[in-house]
Amino acid sequence: MKPKIWSTLIIIIIIIYLLTPLVATATYSMFQKWTDIVPEGFTLKHYGDLLSNQAFMRSLGRTILVCIIPILITVTITLLALFVVTVYFPKLEKYVQILCMIPYTIQGVILSVSILSLYSGSRSFLGIRQVMLFGAYCIIILPYIYQGIRNSMHSINMPMLIEAAEMLGSSKLEAFIRIIVPNIISGITVSSLLAVGIIFGDYVIIRNITGSSFQNVQIFLFLAMKRSSTEASAVFVIIMLTTFLITALVLYVQSRDNRQKTESKGR
Amino acid sequence: MSYIVFENVNKYFGTNHVLQDINLEVEKGQLVTLLGPSGCGKSTLLRCLAGLELVSSGKVYLDGKDITDDSARNRGIGMVFQQYSLFPNLSVFQNVAYGLKQKKMPKAQIEKKVKQILALVGLEEKINQYPSQLSGGQQQRVALARAIVTEPKVLLLDEPLSAIDALLRRNLQIEIRRIQKELNITTIFVTHDQDEAMVLSDMIHLFNEGFIEQSGTVTELYARPRTKFAATFIGNYTILPAADFSRACGETLTCQDVAIRPEIVRLSYTPNLDQDRFHLQGVITNSIFHGNIIRYNILCGDISINADVVYESGMPYINGETVFLAIKKEEIIEL
Amino acid sequence: MKKKTNIKLYFLALLPFLIVVFLYEILPLLMMILSSFRSEVDKSILFTLDNYITAFTRLAYQRAIINSLKVTGISAFFGIVIGFIGAQAFHNSTGKIKNVFLTILNMVSNFAGVPLAFAYMIILGNSGVIIQFAKTYGLTALANFDLYTSTGLNLMYIYFQIPLATLLLVPAFYGIRQEWKEANLLLNGNGFTFWTKVGIPVLLPSIFGTLSVLFANALAAYATAYALLMNNYSLLAINITGMFTGDMTTRPHLGAALSVVMMLLMLAAILINNFINRQTSKWRWR
Repeated sequence: MKPKIWSTLIIIIIIIYLLTPLVATATYSMFQKWTDIVPEGFTLKHYGDLLSNQAFMRSLGRTILVCIIPILITVTITLLALFVVTVYFPKLEKYVQILCMIPYTIQGVILSVSILSLYSGSRSFLGIRQVMLFGAYCIIILPYIYQGIRNSMHSINMPMLIEAAEMLGSSKLEAFIRIIVPNIISGITVSSLLAVGIIFGDYVIIRNITGSSFQNVQIFLFLAMKRSSTEASAVFVIIMLTTFLITALVLYVQSRDNRQKTESKGR
Repeated sequence: MSYIVFENVNKYFGTNHVLQDINLEVEKGQLVTLLGPSGCGKSTLLRCLAGLELVSSGKVYLDGKDITDDSARNRGIGMVFQQYSLFPNLSVFQNVAYGLKQKKMPKAQIEKKVKQILALVGLEEKINQYPSQLSGGQQQRVALARAIVTEPKVLLLDEPLSAIDALLRRNLQIEIRRIQKELNITTIFVTHDQDEAMVLSDMIHLFNEGFIEQSGTVTELYARPRTKFAATFIGNYTILPAADFSRACGETLTCQDVAIRPEIVRLSYTPNLDQDRFHLQGVITNSIFHGNIIRYNILCGDISINADVVYESGMPYINGETVFLAIKKEEIIEL
Repeated sequence: MKKKTNIKLYFLALLPFLIVVFLYEILPLLMMILSSFRSEVDKSILFTLDNYITAFTRLAYQRAIINSLKVTGISAFFGIVIGFIGAQAFHNSTGKIKNVFLTILNMVSNFAGVPLAFAYMIILGNSGVIIQFAKTYGLTALANFDLYTSTGLNLMYIYFQIPLATLLLVPAFYGIRQEWKEANLLLNGNGFTFWTKVGIPVLLPSIFGTLSVLFANALAAYATAYALLMNNYSLLAINITGMFTGDMTTRPHLGAALSVVMMLLMLAAILINNFINRQTSKWRWR
């Protein structure tokens, strides 16, 4: 009994510690003044101002755009690559894995400056800032997408399912699209959502490559911080709500998946 | 020409020579088993027939046609895999209908055929369930239904029951045999389990390290193993160097090894003097109950022989007792 | 004949992946490494170690490396200790609180960078909420707290390491079998002997794995530090960025050398982790 009380206490302390900055900032965003224990003057004016601010809405739209396009690209190319490699060139799997894990060592700072210094002088489409940005995002999310897809491919015994479909008259590609993809779709969803979280939270890559000419919400927050802390606190809350929504979706898809797995195991 | 013919088939994986000059024929309507320990090449041969592997050299004929270079999807062969080969995202109905849809069969006809075949494997009521909701045995029945619904020229079964527990396995073996006879479908069954091979087969081909060690009917293989490997793998033969056996029984044998099936050894307290038997004397060292029979281990000088005795009434022999052994000469297999 | 063309077709499917990886991963990385050996002053020199010598001898860059290692080390240490305690508490507790804890950890694990710095400014900045309380109620020690220092930086780094460390250690605790604890009790051991003799050794590979992730995470962090201290504090990530995009003249080759140093530090963390994994794989199963 005793260790359980201690454990609960520790968990509660850690939760309070983790939530304090969040709750405090969220509270701050909804009041006019907070100098004593109780804040004064409840208001939603900061949010109203923000949502009618064209620049903010544009940055929000841009953020969504730079999330969707790189994820679509990376998921597609990784799926194709992993399909071809597992089915036809299993010996290459090792190398694909290395290529996919390298970005994890480079991380945002180095990746962004190396892409910037390589292509910023180029006159071709490679020199377009947005293209560079998409390229960088594709690479930075690669380890997560790769692992998500690979793990779910391993959990279903892909070679056997493809062979079974072939024996029933399908081609390998048809089997992949009709059988494999539907079975790993929740793995793809989870890793895509994780990737959304990463791109949504990115500051350094977009700052280095496109600067403030192509702002996402993080840059908007950074600039708002310098202008007014009340405006920034409303931006903060919107960013955090979006992040939490993404995490909640991830947890939901994962728990649904686990439930299905334990169900089939129990039989 | 037989229905299925393998002609000088060789297969290499890198430098590993897994099939060595295999020549094998299967008659139409037969159930043939490829039996052997794991890694002996039996599954590889099956996969070469399926088209999932290509032979390194040699020819494969099916129904008089050379199919050596055809792709798996065009061979018209049905296959059941070890386990978990059902498509998890499709229901039982969709799984079974998959091959028929590939053949562009009209919808109404598909539905009729699927229901028919599910009735045959006894799973009509599971038609709308998903593979994860079925037991391992049920999954394999669906896999069987999926393989035979397209009326393939040959049905291949690659250790389909290896992951299923013993009792259920026996039921499924009998059921597979029933369905095979009912549809009169040419079937090749791969297994490492000699009992399973005996229950099912018209013919058994015993594999060892890329060769066919011996082919024959069930009784031929059981009663007349031709090599030491065949004798070790099938039955419970005691295998002894002939010289040791000669010394123990006092008669000279010219072969290299002898193989003795435990059920041909007679035990008694008094010597039996029939001329057509070998006679030995030994001490019981161990006895194990196997249901209705008792297996004794008897030490005769420096050799040890197993004897199976049907347990009737009365006291069995006790460890340490001296007994006389009599073994019919014609039943001993010289290797 | 037919087979050959097929192989080519399959290779075609691999092509998009290879193009993207080549253009935005391999080529930039390669050029970065080559560029680190070029001279910053004389464009005609293609190979020199000057940049590396500068990086390790010039006080400003030395400080950047040391500061980076310091904040990384401190935050990883506190992160792993608190994460361990948190994961152990998670392991020992039951019921709803487990789910609540796990959900909060997952949510907060994305909370870093600019928003984190901003939230800390709101609560602990010069006119932050907690500082105001402290001033009102005369808690001078707290009231004089200055967030805009290395202490403040450490505090924020520790904050973002904790949820990550806990989340990474929670699965490891599933490897501690109840039977081992029972065997320990039957052999006259207590909680302390169990954890020192069995528990921590069994968890060691996970602990080092987590440390390596925390190390990489802190070393590469940029936005948190930049949002708080701008260019006023010397850190590898900030210095590198400054050399490519700074307001003053850029120094790309020196920046490239510093980038290579940073990558080597990351690589070292991963290699040490792999080495320890190999050492312990003797008695680990799976």
